[in-house]
Amino acid sequence: MSTPAISIQNLTKVYPIPFKREKVTAVQDLSLTVEAGQVYGLLGPNGSGKSTTMKIVLGLVTPTSGRTEIFGRDSNTVESREDVGFLPENPYFYKYLTGAETLDFYGKLCGLSRAKIRDRSKELLKLVGLENAADRRLGGYSKGMLQRIGLAQAMIQEPRLLVLDEPTAGVDPAGSREIRDLILDFKQRGITVLLCSHLLEQVQEICDRVGILDHGVLIREGVLGDLISIENQTEIILENAPPELLAQIREMIGKSSGRLVAEHRPQKTLERYFLDVTGPKQS
Amino acid sequence: MTRRMVIAILVLLVFGAVRMPFEAELEKEHKAAYFHGAKLDLSLREKIGQMGFLAALSGFRAFVADVLWIHAHVLWERTEWGAMKVDFDAVTSLQPRCVLFWSQAAWHMGFNASVAAFEDPKQPREALRLKAQHEYFKLGEDYLLHGIENNPDVYNLYADLALLYEMKFKDHCKAAEYYARTAAFKNAPVFYHRFQYYELAQCPGHEREAYEALLKLYKEGENERLPTLLKWLGILQEKLNVPADQKIYIPPAPNP
Amino acid sequence: MTAAAPIATKHKIFSPARVTAIASNTLLELVRLKVFYFLLLFALLIIGSSFFTSKFTFQEQFQVLKDVSLGAMSIFTWLLGVLATAMLLPKDIEDRTLYTILAKPVPRFEYLLGKFLGVLLLLFVAISLMTGVFLVILYARQQDALANAARLVPAQALQEQLADIRAATFNKNLLPGIVIIYLKSALCAALTLLLSTFASSSIFTIIMSVIVYLIGHIQAIAREAYLASQTTTALTKAFLAIVALLIPDLNSLTLVDDIVVGNAISTVLFVKTASLGLTYIGIYFLVGYFVFSAKEL
Ligand SMILES: Nc1ncnc2c1ncn2[C@@H]1O[C@H](COP(=O)(O)OP(=O)(O)O)[C@@H](O)[C@H]1O
Ligand SMILES: [Mg+2]
Repeated sequence: MSTPAISIQNLTKVYPIPFKREKVTAVQDLSLTVEAGQVYGLLGPNGSGKSTTMKIVLGLVTPTSGRTEIFGRDSNTVESREDVGFLPENPYFYKYLTGAETLDFYGKLCGLSRAKIRDRSKELLKLVGLENAADRRLGGYSKGMLQRIGLAQAMIQEPRLLVLDEPTAGVDPAGSREIRDLILDFKQRGITVLLCSHLLEQVQEICDRVGILDHGVLIREGVLGDLISIENQTEIILENAPPELLAQIREMIGKSSGRLVAEHRPQKTLERYFLDVTGPKQS
Repeated sequence: MTRRMVIAILVLLVFGAVRMPFEAELEKEHKAAYFHGAKLDLSLREKIGQMGFLAALSGFRAFVADVLWIHAHVLWERTEWGAMKVDFDAVTSLQPRCVLFWSQAAWHMGFNASVAAFEDPKQPREALRLKAQHEYFKLGEDYLLHGIENNPDVYNLYADLALLYEMKFKDHCKAAEYYARTAAFKNAPVFYHRFQYYELAQCPGHEREAYEALLKLYKEGENERLPTLLKWLGILQEKLNVPADQKIYIPPAPNP
Repeated sequence: MTAAAPIATKHKIFSPARVTAIASNTLLELVRLKVFYFLLLFALLIIGSSFFTSKFTFQEQFQVLKDVSLGAMSIFTWLLGVLATAMLLPKDIEDRTLYTILAKPVPRFEYLLGKFLGVLLLLFVAISLMTGVFLVILYARQQDALANAARLVPAQALQEQLADIRAATFNKNLLPGIVIIYLKSALCAALTLLLSTFASSSIFTIIMSVIVYLIGHIQAIAREAYLASQTTTALTKAFLAIVALLIPDLNSLTLVDDIVVGNAISTVLFVKTASLGLTYIGIYFLVGYFVFSAKEL
């Protein structure tokens, strides 16, 4: 088996509160693996520790205990960041830079050559649909454009892993859709994505696997399809089934111990499931 | 406070201990090179106020001194000599390395205020006017003596003091002494070495000394044979009763 | 370490290119804040100062011009250094640009160094521009005075007068004096950087920095009193020690007041003084980095 893109082992993070004796446990004994090539969705209500987990993975925050790795390299090391791109929640980039200058700046930080930066920058601006805005200052960008330039800067050094914190927060539905398509595009190219979002439909559409955090504890984790399927029910979706076949099936069900619940597609949204598992009964 | 912050403060304390002897030594060297000679004490604070004092303390004393200097100039136009002195005291405390300030303060007291005091129309008694005038001479002298204390390395204040002794105190012995000290500076104008002997010539008991020195200069050639030098040579020859055959310099006309 | 073989690393421990990218971006950021408007103020101030001194002798006029110019340089570079540095980190943290930068393979040391160098660069540009304006005005006023003297002063006294005018304007100690002003403002910037790694708000950082600045100028008094070890109470002694040890001796970098009136500084003394300033800057930066490197962002 290849090295996982992200490996989190027994991670705990306790924040001290300045001038107070209390502490906040943001993440508690979290273990999680994101395999290379997956799109992994980290879900949870506000304050459940999603951002903290991401920051620890990126080495921005030091864990209280436990360890995290990116492609086998400890998050404490600077090298671990070579293969990852990060888009924080609600980022502001330098307003006085143009889109192209922004990518140039981040390219330099990654140690890319001038020529490489030029090529990548052109390619990415095209990819995120900002070719025409390349020479405009970020101060004049819309929220959706900022998120897209943010994605482009995250991808500047061709990392194999993308970490996105609420990539569609505050973006209008159309913009949100564009970002979703970009993520799918990255997935197509074999890039691993760890994202957190509260837009559950989107998560449902793009994630292979999800983990649900509540009060810093990973309460559910697994392949998206498994999590939201109803375990004692089976859905058979037929195409062009002739009425005789359906009659036959009904007859067979009647003879068995099973029961026909409904003949339409069973529906349970991720949203419902999400609310079920994180509901008020917990707190 | 994180643990690192505590360590950081400890490191700063250690750094403080390491730099302390070096800084104390450097301060000595700065003082030896005439830096940081300003006297920023409580009496100064009274004169220039809290804000001025704070500004002077935090590295803007040159600026504070200038403001006071300009203020003193305004007072001068109103001939408020007493108030000027208050400003001059503050300015010279703030900028003891500014020769100009000492020199001008002394000039105002010794040459301007003293004259005004002597001509004071509100004081009919001459004895009192003379006394007041002499007090201003002394104030001028005070500035120059303190100025020299702070600037022993420049000739200007020695020359100013010599002039004050010469013109105002009419103390030619002291004038001679200070002209001599002025002339000892390599960068002082050449005329001071003649001035010292002109004054010495008028210092009782030193006539011969003055005569010999002037004679020596006379022998150096035409450059030194200036009218004043010749005048004093003539006077001294007479005073010392130099025999006619030993007279080196023969005055053109027997004018007394 | 994990057994998993890491990908061949191309990462450099220290990369001047990365530091340069951050430093030049920081400079750009500060320039975009229109900080150079103060230059206009500076020019107005020194031109305006001559208005008050028109009735004075040329010596006095030049002295005031120099005092005002160098005083303004001191205060502007100091203010600029403190304000720019105090807002540097909080702004990056608030805007989360810090996350995007540190999420790249950029060590925190390089980030902090780049930011600090950006401020030093800004201060350098500012003081160079002010020096330029100052020298141009001083030169113009000198030429003016020389021309007037040539017109008004009788021939036999002219040479001396011209020499006096030259002596009252340019003096070779001005440049080392300006270098010391720069170092002092850089020291105050380094101190502010250090304070800002402790604090969470820029206002707190600025207030602390101003307080240390004020105490720093009388630190030498505390040090002397401490070293004199006269019979004082243990409490007083401890207080003096803390001031002397913790607060920088800013008076040792305050030479320009004396230089401007013609006090000469020897090369040896200049080098010693500058070295002290550089040591402070280095130590403050490193201690600041030490705190910053483990800071929760
Ligand atoms: N720097 C910090 N200092 C103290 N507490 C923090 C800090 N950052 C986050 N927290 C706390 O940690 C918890 C988790 O926060 P976060 O990871 O941002 O959650 P999420 O991204 O899921 O909304 C919250 O209770 C938050 O208040
Ligand atoms: Mg969050």
